[in-house]
Amino acid sequence: MTELFLAGPERLLPYLLVAAMLFSLGVVSVVSRRNAVGYLMGIELMLNAANLDFVAYGRFRGPEAAAHAQVAALFVVALAAAEAAVALALVYAVYRNFRDVDLDKIRSLNGD
Amino acid sequence: MNVSPLLFWPVSALVLAGAAGAALARNLVYAALSLGGCLVGVAGLYLFLQAEYAAVIQMIVYVGGILILILFGVMFSRDLSGADTRPSLGSRILAVSAGLATLAATLRLALLVPRLSGTGLSQVRSSTDTWVGQISTDSPFHIGDLLLDSWLAPFLVLAVLLTVVLIASLGLVRKDAS
Repeated sequence: MTELFLAGPERLLPYLLVAAMLFSLGVVSVVSRRNAVGYLMGIELMLNAANLDFVAYGRFRGPEAAAHAQVAALFVVALAAAEAAVALALVYAVYRNFRDVDLDKIRSLNGD
Repeated sequence: MNVSPLLFWPVSALVLAGAAGAALARNLVYAALSLGGCLVGVAGLYLFLQAEYAAVIQMIVYVGGILILILFGVMFSRDLSGADTRPSLGSRILAVSAGLATLAATLRLALLVPRLSGTGLSQVRSSTDTWVGQISTDSPFHIGDLLLDSWLAPFLVLAVLLTVVLIASLGLVRKDAS
């Protein structure tokens, strides 16, 4: 364990541990948040954990895989940006109809 | 770019503290700012992995773009009615148990990795815990080649998707949309 601690960035496992905790915190956020924007932040945390795993695995596989992993990370980041834009547009539309963004209160489909 | 290995654990601590703040802070503005710290820390971890390109993308798109968008959303939606936005006890218990279950599953997988041998996952095994040293410094050029070669089709689909998203977001917030 001490050896792992000292080796730090030159081992794969530390990155996997950080990504695992990051993902779990994202799950906690998604389950517990009542505000739609807080929910969105949880999703961003989970996407970041997945990206960190992509890049770490690629790096420990060799130079070619490292480049491919960074391309995959680029795609995830672009999709996250698209998702955030649509989600915030939806939040705005929901707020205009319900005057609220509390996910526990928004239940009807037709605005009644 | 080489970063001192001594900084690895402080940067990891920044990532996890930022994520904890983003997940648990009661004030959503603080949560968004913690998320910013977490995203900057993840960019730092990419530097440890010598993935400068991913680190720069992370800073420009996530910290410069998505975080600003989220902060706008927070400012826009925060406590407008003065209602209580704290999660109920039931959803707190549910969140903690879901988080612990996920943590157990992901940690189990992470700890399994160095021992995956002789299974169908031998490909993964060959990658683990072998630091291959310095990789070439022209990786951004190589990434550009990859984007226009083996990743060309997904790249074009992504371009179309971003256009669709742009138009769809404008359509959603249009004044006479409802």
